[in-house]
Amino acid sequence: MSSNEVIVTGAAITPFNRRKDGTGFRDWAAMAFDNAVAMANIEIKEIDALFVASESDFFSMQLNPAAVLASELGLTGVAATRCEGGGASGQVAVQAAARLLQATEARHVAVVGVDPSASSLSGDAIRALYGYSFDTWTDGMTGINSTALYALSYQAFTAQFHTSEESLATVTMQNRKNACENPNSHLPRQDTIQEINASPFIASPYRRLHCSPLSDGAAALILSRHKNTPRSRANAPQIIGMGAATDHMHLGARSDPGLFKAKTQAMQSACTEAGIKPTDVRLAEVYDAYAGAQLQALTALGLTNSPASDLMNGNFRPGGDCPINLSGGLMGQGAPVGATGVAQVVTCAQILEGCYHSNLQLSNPPKYALADTHGGVCTTAAVTILSQGNAA
Amino acid sequence: MIVYQQILNYTLNSGWLTPFVTGLKAGKAKARKCNCCSKVSFPPLRVCLCGSAEGAWQDLSGTGTIIWRTTGPDGDFALVQCDGADTQTIMRLIEFGANVTHGKIIASDTKQPALCLTPNVRTEML
Repeated sequence: MSSNEVIVTGAAITPFNRRKDGTGFRDWAAMAFDNAVAMANIEIKEIDALFVASESDFFSMQLNPAAVLASELGLTGVAATRCEGGGASGQVAVQAAARLLQATEARHVAVVGVDPSASSLSGDAIRALYGYSFDTWTDGMTGINSTALYALSYQAFTAQFHTSEESLATVTMQNRKNACENPNSHLPRQDTIQEINASPFIASPYRRLHCSPLSDGAAALILSRHKNTPRSRANAPQIIGMGAATDHMHLGARSDPGLFKAKTQAMQSACTEAGIKPTDVRLAEVYDAYAGAQLQALTALGLTNSPASDLMNGNFRPGGDCPINLSGGLMGQGAPVGATGVAQVVTCAQILEGCYHSNLQLSNPPKYALADTHGGVCTTAAVTILSQGNAA
Repeated sequence: MIVYQQILNYTLNSGWLTPFVTGLKAGKAKARKCNCCSKVSFPPLRVCLCGSAEGAWQDLSGTGTIIWRTTGPDGDFALVQCDGADTQTIMRLIEFGANVTHGKIIASDTKQPALCLTPNVRTEML
């Protein structure tokens, strides 16, 4: 048994949507955390550290949310750290927690990702704040928004890989069809290709229906060292590989602005640690902030060399060679930023363990699954590889 | 429910980027030329792609060619190859026709310094 083993003993997600029920981010964090602790079958007092993923204080009007949530969750006294890496915040937190366990500095660590990205501010205000995800002094001050930057990167990508408007519509339909089977999802829609292609441009070639929504919600994990894992959870999925990397902040400083090179680098690191190849991955939750970004991600991760044809051949559908975003992804399940990367790991772990939503659960779960996030236009990348537990 | 308004007025010091930011306010393109490999970065990179942090400011002509372009309700934006630069930059397009691909940097029409490109034709007419 390796001392580096990190067991996913607890995993939970709240619904992702625009809250209209009077609840706030403290409620969602507590709901996800309590359910993860219950699944882990441990006492709260056994948790030695808390990592909180939250992208922006402007969403919650709360600095130092890790200390606030430590109190809210009954963890006062533990080390509490807030992690932020734009859209990658969730997996930055997961990886910090897992590394602490690998360093044998804790028995169990809680990871909570949460953001009120939908209900606390207007959509225009949130989008303006997202503009600060990019170099404020250069790209940011042009007034460019996230969608436009992604659109420019995607155009460089599609010139090489010959994806099409049909490709964008197919990703959109596929992810949101999956979301229809996920009761926690924000956008369970079944738009036709005609409806997608008729939706208004946000930043060409991206139309409104090619974009992920702004969502509220939380996700939580309890990660444990093997020697401290309760017997009842000893066969739970494990985190076996992690990688993180960065790319030039300026799209124009990259040798190829269409390629997500940081993701490729992070994936190589994660595969090396896991001792597997990208082609061994047969299930992935990838960062689909926009429909084209999913195709760019799959290519960068080494899950395809022909994104357009593999997509149209059904390789990424629930019954395909490598199902992608069974949760619905950001486009379908939703995107409360800090929660996103944590939720991806939750989804992968639950599918590997065979306890995901019944209509999405794979009857024969694969050996390995991949959770992939990034911040900026893949300026910060973080990917995590999970495997089935010891008994599988 | 708590309704809360926060108004913040920032004063941001531009530090080593000051020549670049000052240039933008005047519609000038101040780039950074690497002392080691001679590559020119615009927007300027403090550390060149070759890894050297030794460089000097260099004026560009301020003209550039659109590589990729996007259009939407928030405006037109492009990835632009500025003449004389070895890197590309994001710019806001001002009054750019759909078929125009070359333009010249102009000062932003807002209080913020910003990278804005307008067609050469318009500049010549002025």
